[in-house]
Parts: sequence; C-alpha cells; structure tokens
Amino acid sequence: MSKKTDTTRRAIVGATIGVGLGIGSLSLLTPVISLRPKKEETPEAEPPKEGDVFTFAVGDNAGKEISFDDIPLGGPAVLAFPKDPKSGVIKSAEKNNLVLLIRLKPDEVGDEVKDYAADGTICYSAICTHLGCTVGEWDSSKNMLLCPCHSGLYDPRHGAEVVAGPPPRPLPALPIRAEGNKPVVAGGFTSPPGVLAGTEAAGGSCTV
Amino acid sequence: MYRWLDERLDLNRFNKKFLSKAFAVHHSYFIGEIALFAFITLIITGIFLTFNYEPSIRMVKVAGKNLPAAYASVLYIDSLPFGAVLRSVHHWSASIMIAAAFIHLLRILVSGSYKRPREINWFLGLLLLVVAIVTAFTGYSLPFDAFSATATGIGYGIGTSMPYIGEWISQLIFGGEFPTVHSIPRIYSLHVLWFPLLLMALLGGHMLVMVKQKHTQPAYAKKVAPGRILGVPLMPQQAYMSTVLFFLYLAVVFFIGGTYIAHPIEVFGPPTASTPPVKPDWYLIWIYGILQIIPGDLKISLPGGAVMNSEFIGSILVPGILGLVAVLLPFLDTRATKMRYMELPTRHPIRTAVTFAVLAFLITTTLAGWKQELGFSNGQLWAIIIGGSIITYLVVYYGIILIWGRPPKGDPDAEIA
Repeated sequence: MSKKTDTTRRAIVGATIGVGLGIGSLSLLTPVISLRPKKEETPEAEPPKEGDVFTFAVGDNAGKEISFDDIPLGGPAVLAFPKDPKSGVIKSAEKNNLVLLIRLKPDEVGDEVKDYAADGTICYSAICTHLGCTVGEWDSSKNMLLCPCHSGLYDPRHGAEVVAGPPPRPLPALPIRAEGNKPVVAGGFTSPPGVLAGTEAAGGSCTV
Repeated sequence: MYRWLDERLDLNRFNKKFLSKAFAVHHSYFIGEIALFAFITLIITGIFLTFNYEPSIRMVKVAGKNLPAAYASVLYIDSLPFGAVLRSVHHWSASIMIAAAFIHLLRILVSGSYKRPREINWFLGLLLLVVAIVTAFTGYSLPFDAFSATATGIGYGIGTSMPYIGEWISQLIFGGEFPTVHSIPRIYSLHVLWFPLLLMALLGGHMLVMVKQKHTQPAYAKKVAPGRILGVPLMPQQAYMSTVLFFLYLAVVFFIGGTYIAHPIEVFGPPTASTPPVKPDWYLIWIYGILQIIPGDLKISLPGGAVMNSEFIGSILVPGILGLVAVLLPFLDTRATKMRYMELPTRHPIRTAVTFAVLAFLITTTLAGWKQELGFSNGQLWAIIIGGSIITYLVVYYGIILIWGRPPKGDPDAEIA
C-alpha cells in the first residue's frame, strides 16, 4: 500500500466521522431547545382583565371573593388572585397574577396612583421586582409594604416606589374601580409585573 | 482466594506499585479526606432518600390535606425509623463537605501548594467546590416546603438576571419559570444523577493527579530526609488512619443529625402564595448579604437593551471575579523550582495576608446577611466590609513581618530555619 492512498483513506474516514458527528450534534439542537418548557396557556394562567374580581390568595378564606370591608384600613395589605366572575376561574396558575390590595385614607393616596385607586384602595402586583418573592409583609412602624426576602420596602401611598432595599423598580399598579362593595379590575398592569430578566426596566407605575 | 485472584490479576504487582505508596503525614492533610468521607456519606444516605422520595408537585391527599407529593414524601421519610436522622445526616454532611473542601482550599492557598506542577489539581479542586455548592443548592428545593420553594425561587431569579442568556439558562435548569410541574423532576435528576456523577469524575481526577504527582510534603520532611518522600504506606498505616477518621466522622455527624433535625418541613408547611423570610444555607449567606446591601438601582447597560443589574453584579459577578482570581492564581504567583514541600505561610506575608483579607470579606458580607436583626445601615455595613478586609490585610501582613521578620530575597523557601 502506498503512502498516498493511506493518507487519502484516512482523510475520507476522518471526513466521514466528522460530518456524521457534526450533523448528529446539529440534530441534537432541537431536543436541547425543547428543554425550555413551553408556557401552558390555561384560563388559570391568563393575566387579569377588566371586570375581574379578587379572591383571597392565602389563609382560611382562600378562594373567597374580597369586598372592601375585608381590607383593613391603613394596612396590612391583603394578598389576592383575580377571578373571572363569568367562568368562576381563579387565575392562580400564573405567579405574576398575585396582587395585593391596600386600603388607605383617600387623602393619603398620592397623585401617582390616584387614577388607579378606588375609594382609597390600591392594587399592586405582589411579586417583588427584585427576585420574585411575595411582598407579603407589612412594616407597621413605617407603614410600608415589606418584602421579607431581602427587605425591600415599598411605599404604597406613592405608587409603591422603592424606599429601601434592593428592588430595582416600583411595584406595578393594577387599576381598579368599585363595583358595589367590591374592588374590580379596571385595566391591565401599568408595567410588566414580576422580575424583568436581565433587561432594562421600563419604569414603574409612575411612567405609563 | 488471594492466590486465585493474584494469578489472574497480578495483585502483587498492584500492591507493590500502589498499596505501599507513601503518604505524607500532617494534620492538615486530613481535611480533604473529611470532604471525601462526607461525600461517601451523602451518597449512602442519598440512596435511602431516593428510595422513598417522589419528585413531583402533583397534589396528593394525606390525612385529609392536599399536599404536593414531594412534600408529602419527605414527611413520609421523616416518619420512617431513623428516616429523619438519615435526612438530617444527609443535610449536615453536605454542609460538612463544603466546609471541609473550603478549609482544604485555604490550606492549599496559604501553603502555596497550587504552584507548578499542581495547577491541574487546583483547578479540579475549585470546580469541585463550585459543583458541590451547586449540588447542595439543587437539593435545597426538593422537599418543596414553603421555605425551600422560596429560596429556590430566589435562585431562579438570580439566574434570570444574567444578561442575554439568563432567562434561557434558568428555565433550562429549573424547568420553566420556577415552580412548574417540570421543575422538581428536572432538579431531582440534576441533584441525584448528573451532579453526583460530575462530582465523582472530578474527585477521581483529583485523586489520580494527586497519586501521579505525589502529595506535597510538610516542611520538616526537607530536614529529616531531603529529596526523599517521607510518609507512611497506604496499606496498612494510612488506610487504618483513614478508617478511624471515617468512623469518627460518622459518629460526629450522626450525633449532630440525631440531635438537630435538619430543615423541619412540618414547621415550614407546603408552599403558599406568600413567601416566608428566607436565608440560604450558611455557605451562601455572604452572597445573600451582598444582595441585601447593594444599591438596587446599580446597573451597567449593555448593547441590545440588556443590562447587568444589581442582582447579577452582587450574586454572579462578585463571586465570579473571586473565582477568576483563584483560577489565575497559579499563573500570577509562580516559583522557579518545582514544588515538593509546603511553603511556610510566614515566609509569604502578602499571600497569607490576602488570604485572611478574603476571609474577612466573606465573614463581614455574611454578617451583612443579618442586616435586619443587627439593625445596621447599608453604609455602616459597607464600611465594616471594606474596612474590615483592609485592616485584616494590614494586621496580618505587619504582624507576620513583626514576629517572623521579612522573608529573604530570592527563593524564600530555599532554606528553612
């Protein structure tokens, strides 16, 4: 066997293996991409829409509809999920649907959120803009919304602006109106709720 | 029996070559072994846990209550004879493995043992520490109680903060926006299969390279028998010492596990819409501390609308920079001759002082994790962190020079006093 044919053979074998491996690994891309699961679109995961009522998200009353009387004046806030009154579906499958209802004296409501409030009650996203914990605590000495995870403080009177701690932007507001004795959703969030993944934050509830 | 095997496998040759290998003896050399024993204990207790754990968040009815299956199965484990103890031993062993690996790293650091020719084992060791921490973190979510689900959710949030690729990578690891039905099965497979396999491969490599390159020796060996390897044979002396140490380790960890039940999930309850105040395990509290005191509006804009926000800077960039410095260390701090003996920390005041300063940084940032409880302001904590690290450096550096004198010029380890 001459030296030349030997090299040619090797080149052919090498090229065959190379092409095979190349195409083989390219075809692996599809399963790899599918590892990021598709978001399931169910009625429970739809965002809040106009006309939705609110239900308790936690506690013994979870699932019950919330009236203004259920929200203590001057805090603490009440955690709630929106509910479609027609279908009766509670939209609790999407984490970012968790909101908080806070009732203040009407003259305490700052100009930033005046248009979104109803009878002194304001609705904010309850998902901390920092790392997605629930803004579920109430700092009773400062009268502020407190996220327990990294102690982010939000001022509910002024558009849930960040007073202390690491959150990068205010909590988005969810406009509400009064319908009888109940707060009802009057529009979509004023900015995207939840954690914005590594992208420039587009303002809070103040800039709409 | 031995002869039968020897005829087929030539055991005598193996014995001569490997089992009589000399192991250098120094009390600090047992710390790495403790990490290994912790890993073995983790695997054995882990097997017990996998036999009873159900990686799913489907709801099951237990005693009239609707609970996620994962949570319910951990309750079941706790109800088994010694179940809660074995789960606690698993938990505490993870802590001990990370602690031992870290102290082992400090020993390598202050004795300069990362230098030529041992750079490879320095890198493998760093990787082992990082993978061990990641593995421990993935295990954290599995009981799926209110506490661990919140902590893992924060981990997901930190992952998404990586510019450009964060969301994709986070969803890949956590099976979508944590928690979804895919989350627990995926994290489970990472925790019980892929990360342990990776750890075993890295550990195997770490051991093989150590055997091939031979262990560094204590400085006294240079005086006693210069140029020769001083130590005890692997079989029987070293093996007996290790076995005794392993039993001691088991005794201590079972005492801790039996006395302090780890992560009482019954107290935390299943996850709800509200999140409890959480702190990570102690080895991540320094990152948690940085996140507490970093200004939230700190950000570096990148092209294409991406941004490095404070979460990314605090919890990925800062540890990443520390890791990068560690990787570069064997190239920055070199020596002319091949390393055989451990260097004396007092002969290398700068390196020793920097090591202590990094330790001070880790301790003070950990302190910042208790910001709420301590009632310090961000400014005070930053002053403590930066001031503490600098003061530690100065105190250690000048302390060494004052007590042991300046190291001689040239090769400071050439002659040992």
